[in-house]
This record gives sequence, C-alpha cells and structure tokens, in this order.
Amino acid sequence: MLTVETLTVTRGGRTVLRDVNLTLAPGRTLAVLGQSGAGKSTLVASVLGLLRPDHGQVRWNGAPLPRGAAALVMQEPRAAFNPRLTLRRSVQEPLRARRLPDDPVRLARLCRGLELPPESLDRLPGQVSIGQAQRAGVLRALIAAPPLILFDEPLSALDAMTQKHTARMISELQREEGFAALVVTHDLGYAAAHADAIAVLRAGQIEETAETATFFAAPQSAYGRSLVEAAVSLGALGRQTAA
Amino acid sequence: MRAGRTILHPTDLSFAPGDRIGLVGPSGSGKSTLCHALVDQLQARGVAVAHVPQSPDEALDPLRRLDFHWSQAERALGLAPDAARRAQLLRALDLEGRPLNVRPWGWSRGMQQRFVIALALLASPALLVLDEPTSALDPIVAATTLELVEAQAARTGTTLLIVTHDLGLAAARARRLLVLHEGKLVEDSDTGTLLTKPQSTAAQALVAHRNWADLPC
Repeated sequence: MLTVETLTVTRGGRTVLRDVNLTLAPGRTLAVLGQSGAGKSTLVASVLGLLRPDHGQVRWNGAPLPRGAAALVMQEPRAAFNPRLTLRRSVQEPLRARRLPDDPVRLARLCRGLELPPESLDRLPGQVSIGQAQRAGVLRALIAAPPLILFDEPLSALDAMTQKHTARMISELQREEGFAALVVTHDLGYAAAHADAIAVLRAGQIEETAETATFFAAPQSAYGRSLVEAAVSLGALGRQTAA
Repeated sequence: MRAGRTILHPTDLSFAPGDRIGLVGPSGSGKSTLCHALVDQLQARGVAVAHVPQSPDEALDPLRRLDFHWSQAERALGLAPDAARRAQLLRALDLEGRPLNVRPWGWSRGMQQRFVIALALLASPALLVLDEPTSALDPIVAATTLELVEAQAARTGTTLLIVTHDLGLAAARARRLLVLHEGKLVEDSDTGTLLTKPQSTAAQALVAHRNWADLPC
C-alpha cells in the first residue's frame, strides 16, 4: 500500500505541492488529473524519491519506499530510451541494477501480453514505431516485478486507436501481475475507462479524491466539473443517451 | 507522391461556406499531405486559406515580439495597419488587452495558440485548417479555444477543417466527417450518419474506438 502523507515540495522558491495526501492499494489504479503546471510531474518525482520533500513523506506498507520498488513509464517513449542501446539492453537494465538474473520465460510472457514481437527488442528505439517503443517502456517497468508503477502521460504520444489498445494491454497485465499503478494524466477519457480512483490536482493541492464512478457521476469541486465538461466537449467522454 | 510512394490518391472535395468539417485518420493516413495539397491548390486559385499548425512553436519566431508577428502578417497580406481590426480579432479569441510587446514565450501555450489563430483569421480565410488543434493544449484551454474559433468562424462564414487522429474530438465538433485511410478518402458523410452507419472498415474501426467511456447519467 502506497501512502503519501502531507507531502509538501518547494522548487525554486515556489511551493509546487502542498499537503498532498493519497493512498493506493496493490492491484489498483489511481489517476491524478490536472492541467500543465498543476504539479503532476513533481508528484511523480517525489514518489520515486528523486525530490526531497520539505514536509511529509511517501511510504510503502508503512515504511520508506524501498529502492527499486517503483518503476516509471515516461511520456515520450523514444526519449525514454538510450538511443544507442538495443531495446533488449534497456529493458533488462532494471534486472542488472538490482543484480537479478535474466528471466527469459517472464520476458517472453510479458512480450506476448504487450504484443511486442521478440525480434523488435533487438532494434534501436528509433527503429521501431512509437507504439512499440512505448510498450517496450512498459516492459522495462514491469520486468523486475516492482509492486508500484508510475505512468506519466503514458499514452499522449500515441494515436487514438493505439492509445485504447495499449491501455487495454496494460490493464490486462495489471490483473495478472497485481502492481499498483499511479497514473498522472490530463486525459479524462483514459482515466474514466481504466482507473479505479481519481484525484484532482490543481495548483499543487488535491481538490478532491473519489472512486472513478463517483467522480464522473458528480465531481465535487468546481474545477473537477470543468475538467469533465471539457472532456465531453472534446469528445474524450461520451454522454450516455437513453435508448 | 513522396519518396516514390503514393501518399494521396485522387481526391475530390467540396466545402460549403461556414461548414465545420473533421478530417480523421490514423497516423500516416495522409492527413497532413491532404492539408498541404488543399492549401497549395486553393492558394494557387486565389482562395484565402489559412493553416494553423499543431504547435504554436511552428508558427511563431521565439525571438520576435508578438506585435512584430502581427504587423508582418498585415504586410504579407497587403493590409494597412488597423488597430481596431486587431483589437476585434484578439477580443474574439479572448486575448483583448494583453500586451503584445513581448516574445511568444511571455504568454502561455494556450494564449500563443489563440494568437496564431487570430493571425490566421486576419486573412479573412474562406477555409481555416486546424491541424490537431487540441494536442498541445490542456483540455479546458483546448475546449475554450475551439468554442471561440467556432463562434468567430460562424460570424464570418469561414469553413473550419479540423484535422485529427481522434474521431471522438472530430465528432464532438464537426457536422461533416471525412475519413482518410492509406491515402484514400474512404468516407465523406454527415457526423450522425458516420457514427451510426460507417460504411468502410477503416471508419468502422475508428467508430469502435471513438470514446473511452460514456459518462454515467
């Protein structure tokens, strides 16, 4: 269980996160929604332990998050890989970093789940499609079986149909593997379809948290309501019509 | 043809004044090529047409102030400087009263994008092409921007062509939808018909992936 308690982070003299509280249980997906500048990326960096909070803490089962317990899937799949290493080398890096042995059976199973042809791993990041590169990013995050995976706008570089297909593959693997997923996104459609719970982040503060169905049925904050209205207006969410 | 490959097959299109049209297709279907061909062909025939690229970075010089961009556009279009017209266009995009003596990065991306649209409207285009108009913007800003452009286009009878890979977006904003698949225009119908009775396999696949989810009532 991930718990973020009264997390406050200052960067460059500005308070980017203020008193943020969140919890996330294994096997569940929490989507943190917010616009650019809301503090989403700072939250990710703080949970990963890359930023030292001014106040508050990030804990896993009541203790500090152990090294290697969290993995990150980044927004720009090609930029997330060393361009001069094959995908296979990069994907196996988390195992090497933790001195774990290679596990070809697990690798093959995850490749199947992500529809990555095994030979694609012998290419460089620039030699595969963006969709494949992003799935290799998910594979790298999963390979060492961390209990927590952070996704920073994982689908925004992909086109609409690839987004939906990739999201389904990730959810299917989550059911098999049971990791907790913290997704920061401004894509409400994706959150509505794949998250269990929603947290709305605005100007560094949590405006509301709710189960996904509760949130989309009736957002409590004015800001949450404008996000939902914008998503409907942009066609990311349909309005159910009584047949 | 590009690099020996046919990107766009023979295509016939006609647009009604003031219409809102969505051009939809996955990455690599030829959307950008069709847009560029449209803009070139129409300009060659003396039709006023404007193209707003996906990101304001492609349209604005980071070293030049916004008022320079504006006067340069007026010069290029052979228009005399007109402060009232400038104020009116900026007001239409909710940018009234913002100082223009700053470089683009002095404004937020949403404001930059609206400034580029205002510049495009300066040409009083018969057709305004918006290439992936929401991808560089946050959803609230994107929705507001589209509403402002649509209102202004309705006032001036400008036809809007929204180019996107996202059928959900196109269906939410356009009255007529064009579906492009591997360089061929496979569907051209009004939005309601396309959503309920897509004819081509490509359109059926797009319709099946239209929205992520429906809002609970």
